[in-house]
Amino acid sequence: MAPLIEITDLAYRYPDGTPAIAGISLSVQSGDRVAILGPIGAGKSTLLLHLNGLLLPQSGSVTVDGMKVTEETVREVRSRVGLVFQDPDDQLFLPTLLEDVAFGPLNEGKAPREAAARAHGVLADLGLAGSEGRAAHHLSGGQKRLAALATVLVSRPRVLVLDEPTGNLDAEGRAKLVRLLQERDETLVVATHDLEVARALCSRCVVLDRGKIATQGDSARLLDDASFLQQHRLTVPLGDRVLRSSSGTRSPKNPHNH
Amino acid sequence: MSFHHLDRYAYIESPITDTPPVVRLLGTVVVAVGAAALPLGAWGHMAVLALLVGLIALLARVPARVMLLRVSGPLAFVVLASTAVLFLVPGQPVFHAGPVVVTDAGLLRFGSAIGRAVVALGAAVILVSTTGFPDLVSAFRDLRLPRVVTTSLGLAYRLLYTLVDEIERIERAARSRNVGAGARRRRQLAVGIAATALTRSFARGERTYRAMLARGYHGEMPSLRTRRVDANSLIGLGLLTVTVLATTISAYMIR
Repeated sequence: MAPLIEITDLAYRYPDGTPAIAGISLSVQSGDRVAILGPIGAGKSTLLLHLNGLLLPQSGSVTVDGMKVTEETVREVRSRVGLVFQDPDDQLFLPTLLEDVAFGPLNEGKAPREAAARAHGVLADLGLAGSEGRAAHHLSGGQKRLAALATVLVSRPRVLVLDEPTGNLDAEGRAKLVRLLQERDETLVVATHDLEVARALCSRCVVLDRGKIATQGDSARLLDDASFLQQHRLTVPLGDRVLRSSSGTRSPKNPHNH
Repeated sequence: MSFHHLDRYAYIESPITDTPPVVRLLGTVVVAVGAAALPLGAWGHMAVLALLVGLIALLARVPARVMLLRVSGPLAFVVLASTAVLFLVPGQPVFHAGPVVVTDAGLLRFGSAIGRAVVALGAAVILVSTTGFPDLVSAFRDLRLPRVVTTSLGLAYRLLYTLVDEIERIERAARSRNVGAGARRRRQLAVGIAATALTRSFARGERTYRAMLARGYHGEMPSLRTRRVDANSLIGLGLLTVTVLATTISAYMIR
């Protein structure tokens, strides 16, 4: 079966000539759940922007659902790949949540009545029923994340691409979002440096470092390799690091242990 | 600071918000042109048009306090710009203020300019209070304005939003550090905040634009509240036009 996303030897340089990504080749099958891991500046966001056609390949190619991503196919590609940005404030810009969520279907040419019905449905699915008339800046951080997700789910994309979906979320918001994404059927591509989220959501990890793929493989195997992760500037949970570095010498301070 | 409150009456069900935005826009133009065409000193006719605007505001459920507040800002500029006619238009002196002489003809022109402006601004305030920006742009599009104009308006709206939002963020950060002691310091800060916000909002605007493109934006702001021009709204616009025309024409006939 042909992959849903096929990236071949993709390279991109910023306008000042700095290479952002170089020689990236990657296949994503329909139904795959892939985490793109890497430290800040590794090229994760640049790679994601190519999947939605917001950046077009300077060299190499990106194919989505059998369509090579070009200026001509970009609108069709965007209807199949839903991209959720890192900062929900960038994604929510209309006066009310309902208008924001209906924005995508309206752009696809759906009638206002259908777009509104879809938006109501998605907001209800994500537990945001009753917030339709609210302005985005009146929502909590967790609600904004869900609302940003709603703006993409409403267009029923085949692939969900999420850029740092759990950034600025508290533990409860993070758990809720992860549960919600676990229940979705779409193909999932998640860029994150939150390793716990990568483990919970994705069966496969691709590690980017300095714009190149350092390695890729099974999540369970890669995420247990602490020295490899540290080598690529990926954060092992702080508790684990402290425990590893101090094993056998000290235990965490406890005021009751005297 | 936020500007979402500007069109908050657009979300209230009323006979005015039920009409398509293009009809609301044309109605505003009709009232404004009618007011501008009134002869000098047609006070009674100006009052009729002002009453008409008041009636429309009532139908649109825009409170009188909001109307007065929103008209008063731009009206201050009209007053400022028109003050010169009090002294510059030749006529019979009415009173002297030092070396300056206010003439009857100057007073007539000044009063007429203010009267016309009150009517036109009142109509404009009702339009922007009851019509969201995307709807306003779609009305311009329906009037066959060049796409480059409507697209520029749409982009300006988005940039305005990001600018206001950035100013809010920077202001909050500044307030959290106890800034603002003294009017001079506050003025200096306001300039700094505006400059920083402008720079930041360009970057933010770029990110928001990408998010819009990612959801299929192709140069035109779509709207959920699209309404087709129907017979009722055409009848309403026709009645308004006839009333304004009759008022203006009768003002000339009575002279």
